[in-house]
Amino acid sequence: MAPQAAEAMARPDVMAIAEIRHFPVVEPGSGNRYSLLKITTRSGLIGWGECGHDPNADLKALQSAWVGRPANAYATIAPSTPFRAALDIAMLDILGKAANTPVYRVLGGPTRNKVRAYGSGEFPVAVIDVPAPASRNQGKAYENRILKLIEAIPADRDFVLAGNGLLTPGDAASVARTVETKHPLWFDEPCSHSNLDTVRKVSGETVAPLGFGEGIDDPGVFQALLREGLVDIVRPDIAIFGINGTRRIAALAEPYYVAVAPRHAGGPVGTAAAIHIAASIPNFFIQHVPGPADERDRAMRREIVSPALETNNGGFLDLPKAPGLGITVNESALEKYHAS
Amino acid sequence: MRRRNFLALGSAGAALAGTTLAGTKKRPVFQPDAACGCEFQVPAAGAGRGGRGAPAPDAFANLQSGIKITGLKVFGVSLTPDSDRPYVFVKIETNQGLIGWGEGTLEGKAGAVIACVNDFKDFLIGSDPMQVEHIWQSMYIHSFYRAGPVMGSAISGIDQALWDIRGKALGMPVYKLLGGPYDPRGVRGYYHVDGANRDQLIQIRETAGQLGVTCVKAGIPGYYEWIERRPKIDQAIKSIQTYREALGPDIDIAVDFHAKTSPSVASIIVKEVEPLNLLFIEEPCPPENIQAMAKIARRSTTPIATGERLISSYGTRELIEMGVVDILQTDINHTGGITGLWKVAASASVSGISMAPHSCEGPIGGLAAIHVDAAMPNFVVQEICGQVKPNANDKLWEEWLGFPAMRMVDGRFPLASKPGLGFELSEASLAKYPFGGTRPMARVFHDDGSVAEW
Repeated sequence: MAPQAAEAMARPDVMAIAEIRHFPVVEPGSGNRYSLLKITTRSGLIGWGECGHDPNADLKALQSAWVGRPANAYATIAPSTPFRAALDIAMLDILGKAANTPVYRVLGGPTRNKVRAYGSGEFPVAVIDVPAPASRNQGKAYENRILKLIEAIPADRDFVLAGNGLLTPGDAASVARTVETKHPLWFDEPCSHSNLDTVRKVSGETVAPLGFGEGIDDPGVFQALLREGLVDIVRPDIAIFGINGTRRIAALAEPYYVAVAPRHAGGPVGTAAAIHIAASIPNFFIQHVPGPADERDRAMRREIVSPALETNNGGFLDLPKAPGLGITVNESALEKYHAS
Repeated sequence: MRRRNFLALGSAGAALAGTTLAGTKKRPVFQPDAACGCEFQVPAAGAGRGGRGAPAPDAFANLQSGIKITGLKVFGVSLTPDSDRPYVFVKIETNQGLIGWGEGTLEGKAGAVIACVNDFKDFLIGSDPMQVEHIWQSMYIHSFYRAGPVMGSAISGIDQALWDIRGKALGMPVYKLLGGPYDPRGVRGYYHVDGANRDQLIQIRETAGQLGVTCVKAGIPGYYEWIERRPKIDQAIKSIQTYREALGPDIDIAVDFHAKTSPSVASIIVKEVEPLNLLFIEEPCPPENIQAMAKIARRSTTPIATGERLISSYGTRELIEMGVVDILQTDINHTGGITGLWKVAASASVSGISMAPHSCEGPIGGLAAIHVDAAMPNFVVQEICGQVKPNANDKLWEEWLGFPAMRMVDGRFPLASKPGLGFELSEASLAKYPFGGTRPMARVFHDDGSVAEW
């Protein structure tokens, strides 16, 4: 596959990072921002990564920590590194290119031949957001409003009920019990995870699968949820954990028989990373793909990354076959959507 | 739909078989599904590749690497004809000439592991060796009973061989595929000093200093009843004190209780040796009862290490989530190979638990472990059951592999630079040590004839 790679890898100077560039971008319609990183090795290999927008992230600190170091050693990224998810994804992109194979194969995959996805209207799985409660402790009328939303979609269409952390413990439990016979795929963020007693209450009152991950940046939070059986779908955010960090949380969840559905609210480079995660772990269930409502945003996503990996193919995404992440990033388009 | 058709055929087949029996007196055809009548009896995968019940042959047709497994060989290697722990080596061959080696040595149960590796032949021949996670899952899950030590060791040997092939195919040492290394100089290791007396320990201290070895491991003498008498406890404490006195304050000392002690007896000894600042105490009680291990650990300031007999991340889950032990000693030859060890280490890191992988078998597992160690954020030290001064085993391993395998340089096991696991091994070199069969491991008894742990 890559007879030349061994030689290149044996000379660490060739695989050293020569340059790290940051491209902050913004979607013109939604205003959603994310950060792309471009890493170039001395040998000229290029890797792309993506992480969430963080105005305080220190690019100079990242550069002084990693320029000159080997571009393949993705496991050694310290958790405190700025842009760490983007760095991790870009380094795996480079590693795949050096090995002339897709990232999922570097990581022991493929474990599946397509990636189930949801997120916009074109995918078969619907997302039903709970209505923003007018006041706390909504009672039966509120539960009936949610039931009406569920009954508005065909009875055989799968759906995720998204609580978005808006509900009180009592309301979250009541809603979960009300909808559980409608068999949602899962109830996402039914309540805040910051108080485990709250999660215990909700989990104890329903058989609806529960998903958590919003804002979690410490794997220990997932461990706490898993240990007590409080979570059915762990949702590590790709923009926080990157590929390796998400795979490590998947490994943590596996002996609890718990599925992984990584969170992803960023751009198309993140989607590419998500596909490689899905195709390299055993306990993947579904991938959220951001589907902006504004056509300008959709055009931007198609413009900055090709091929269009976010294309719905019968409810699934296809696996790329090109080396690394399997994508090409259009740098001039990044300038066009630059977030100043 | 397939199932319904199949069941219908099954009963028709049974009726036909009866007719045939009456008519021609031929032996009746065994109809397992008709006999079972069991809803859950899924047709065997081996019943016909591409036939009923077999995995859809084209599921990954468009995602093939182009490499296919063409051969699986397993070698029992007895260094002495009556060895109780022959090495079990696995060799996987491919259509592109790439060869992978792995190790599934299980002390005292070599024959069982060899048979189990061969049981997996149908899972492997014709498969794409690059899909190691997929193959691992299939071996573990489709075996239905999940993995104990025999199946875990068989999976380990196969998994290591698949990673060896993966690295060779991708042109990289395995630790680079795993995102390492943390330290290009290698991974810190320790040798054994079992059975050395005070004078020998003083000599070892000097040799270790010259070699840059910073850590050794020793055992405790004798066998222990459920509750122990004062002389026996004093003897154990004194032996550990002797290690510290003779080896000095600068070398890290690990002490292996080898699960010879009950939690009750271990706790007493562990408390008395706290001032010696040991690196860790290993298996202060047997491994099955996590609560018992936790009880010892909670009353100790000395780090507690265990886990060499636990299989896969399923087997270590409870220990990790309780977060009471300090070090896991997962063995790459039993836990599920590189895939298994990586997952245990990733999970353990969430509890702040360090890894000191066990290695007391042949050289392949040890060399494989180094690759995973080099990519672990929570690695502390790698075992090898060699001595500070090289012995006959070391000489033999060097003969086999062409370099001083599992010998440290400046206190560290160096990293391979070649692709895969980084060594070559010929079948011919193993032929001098044919499999002598499975022999029982040591059987030890207390004075009253009752069974003792060793």
